Amino acid sequence: MTTAVSRVGAVAAPARRLGKLHREGRAAYLFLAPALLFFCVFLILPFIFAIVLAFSDWGGFDLGTLKWSGIGNFREVLSFDGTFVKPILVNTLLFAFGSVFLATFGSVLVAYCIDRLAFQGFWRVLYFLPVVATVVAIGNVWKMMYQPAGLINGVLNKLGVNSVGFLSDASYALPSVTVVHAWASIGGAVLILTAGLKAIPEMYYEAAEVDGANAWHLFWSITLPLLRPALLFVLITQFIGGLQSFALIIVMTGDGGPVNATNVAAFEMYQRAFKYGAWGTASAMAMVLFVIILAITLLQLWIARRRGEETS
Amino acid sequence: MKRRGRFPWFAYLVVVLGGVAMVMPFLDMVMSSFKGPGEYGVIPYRLLPSSFGLDNYREAFSQLELPRLFRNSVIVTVSVTVSVLITSALAGYALAKLRFRGRAVIFRFILATMMLPPFLLLIPTFLIMLNWPLAGGNDILGRGGDGGLTTSLLALILPFTVSGFGIFLMRQFMVSLPDEMLEAAKIDGANQWQTWRLIVLPQTKPVAITLGLITFIGTWNEYIWTLLISSSDPSLQTLPVGIQLLQSFLDPDRTMPIVMAGLVISTLPVLVVFLLFQKYYVRGVVLSGLK
Repeated sequence: MTTAVSRVGAVAAPARRLGKLHREGRAAYLFLAPALLFFCVFLILPFIFAIVLAFSDWGGFDLGTLKWSGIGNFREVLSFDGTFVKPILVNTLLFAFGSVFLATFGSVLVAYCIDRLAFQGFWRVLYFLPVVATVVAIGNVWKMMYQPAGLINGVLNKLGVNSVGFLSDASYALPSVTVVHAWASIGGAVLILTAGLKAIPEMYYEAAEVDGANAWHLFWSITLPLLRPALLFVLITQFIGGLQSFALIIVMTGDGGPVNATNVAAFEMYQRAFKYGAWGTASAMAMVLFVIILAITLLQLWIARRRGEETS
Repeated sequence: MKRRGRFPWFAYLVVVLGGVAMVMPFLDMVMSSFKGPGEYGVIPYRLLPSSFGLDNYREAFSQLELPRLFRNSVIVTVSVTVSVLITSALAGYALAKLRFRGRAVIFRFILATMMLPPFLLLIPTFLIMLNWPLAGGNDILGRGGDGGLTTSLLALILPFTVSGFGIFLMRQFMVSLPDEMLEAAKIDGANQWQTWRLIVLPQTKPVAITLGLITFIGTWNEYIWTLLISSSDPSLQTLPVGIQLLQSFLDPDRTMPIVMAGLVISTLPVLVVFLLFQKYYVRGVVLSGLK
């Protein structure tokens, strides 16, 4: 970073250079001021507040009535007699793992196939459409398609299969919303994986082909290993998204029903807080979910690093 | 390229079948928005409506109060997008090109802000808005009032005015701007503000379009926070929330087609903007993924 001007300054007058750096520092903090102020008010303050709330007992809006309650909220939330661990946390994990599995599998397949076609831009935009649409549109359209008189049951009936109560039957409801979440998140993953595919040098494929590898070999021993960084990013972001998303569930099932069948942790937190005003319990739930997200993210990074060391 | 010539029929099959699965819901949305009374919710299912009349669209305009929802959506989306662009360009410049104590720490802090999931801050942020000092009748300590900031559109704007991701994106782009250009400006007597405003800002156009587009689409489609804030004051509803919540006031047999008409109208602006600038959007997503 030593530039012509500052070098001249350094020779002529070190004191003036210091003053200049000082001025640059002041300017920098002025440029940063809006962002830093924002993060103080809308990030650090709420984060501390969230931690305090998780450890306290507070129902109203008057801070004076806030009482410290230690780990009481966590004991209540994590008790196996309640609904939070089972079915809600279990649902959350099933929803996240299910949609991540479907979306990752689907996006690898689609990205790999698109990479071999003409009009790649067109196809990618097509798969990206759901990312652009509001969750209200996605949720309502799928809710409509899942109805007894909807598109999917219409097709099933044509094939001679009886109608399925996708959202009304407790055993189908969670898989049904999971599929929609996966459907909506394939497009973003396809874009990132495509960038990863494009970064793989063509000569690797050519060399393998000379050695007589078929398409399947090429995919397993070249594409997949070299796609690992992009794949890891997709997995991590999809997990983070899947574990915390509940807008789709509000739109499609309204209350996480039938009987908690589609209720997930972030939604339960939302309801406890804003329907019942139980700030403490709700904040404890948020903390538990936050820790789970952190743990799963770190676990993925750890596995990826270990695998990387093994192969290299 | 050679590898694309092999087994294209399999690739075509996968991509076209998947593509149908991607488009069918949107096609069903558009078709249902034209279905008249007695046409929707009938077994056996039929995709096509009997006619393409605009009754549902007219209904959506009057019953859903679309103009009001549209106005709120535009105000919130434009304010957030402009603010994110300006604050990101300011902070990104400082982090990329200025030397000062604490730069590394602040940059790491900005990266860390992206790790905090929004749901964790939902409850405290709501309570902060509610107890905002000197707003909505609150006193200087944020007490006593009736709703604080939650009764104003500002509640939908303020918590989104700065984006850690935006700062990161701008910083990454500005790092690659040549230092000589900035030094030349300094020699010509420009101060930091003038350098930023006249030299740096015009250069950031491509990344600004990317960031603007991502922010625009995200804000236009934002649901949870708006649902929460507008639950006590329906006049603050934006398009997604208004369309979702007003369903219950409509005649059940006629509801879905009208809702679908509303959704078509609310999706169109984003779709048009996306298609116009999709190259930039795609690049932004890729940039964010493979830094």
